[in-house]
Amino acid sequence: MKIDKLMECERNTFYKLINFRLPSQFMIIGIAVVLLSIVMMFIRAFAMDGDTEGLKLVLQKFLLVGMLIMSLSKDKLEDEMTIALRAQSYAIAFVVGVIYALVMPYVEFGVSNVINSGGESFKNLGDFQVLLFMLMVQLMFYHNLKRYR
Amino acid sequence: MENTIKVERAILNLTQDDLAKRIGVSRQTINSIEANRYVPSTVLALKLSDVFNKPVNDFFKLSNDD
Repeated sequence: MKIDKLMECERNTFYKLINFRLPSQFMIIGIAVVLLSIVMMFIRAFAMDGDTEGLKLVLQKFLLVGMLIMSLSKDKLEDEMTIALRAQSYAIAFVVGVIYALVMPYVEFGVSNVINSGGESFKNLGDFQVLLFMLMVQLMFYHNLKRYR
Repeated sequence: MENTIKVERAILNLTQDDLAKRIGVSRQTINSIEANRYVPSTVLALKLSDVFNKPVNDFFKLSNDD
């Protein structure tokens, strides 16, 4: 009996975690964070002097957090179809993200060596590039799936 | 899966929006169900059954490829 209760409690916690979504107002906060980060990135790149590498990393993290907030926020009217479409978009983003992380380093290496002989050495993608790509694909697919439903 | 929700809705003189509000989904979801692009859950099917006052089998039918 005690084990049953424990399992039930674990199951409930697990489902709460799976179904976690931010309220719909967070979408605006997410968009604001993303836009602010992008504007700051441009300012850092073109109007700031000196060593701003630390700021670049902070802005990259803010951009990812903003997109994550956008991805996790609910729609104004959330129903079972939007939940299904969201799940579908996460699955697509995961698969496309893995393919991107596997293929893109070879593409970059190949293109770099075709354009100028002895170009860049082979290097894997950074976490920022992969996560940004996955979040972009998820948001794009979710909104497109919703539009064409 | 095929359905006759559009007909049932017309009988009750309900718009997609009215029906959507009654069962707590978006109008686009009703549109997708009517166009057979989305198969609703049992909960939603039972809510529709409640609105139409008919068994689920009356307005949802299995098609040959199901």
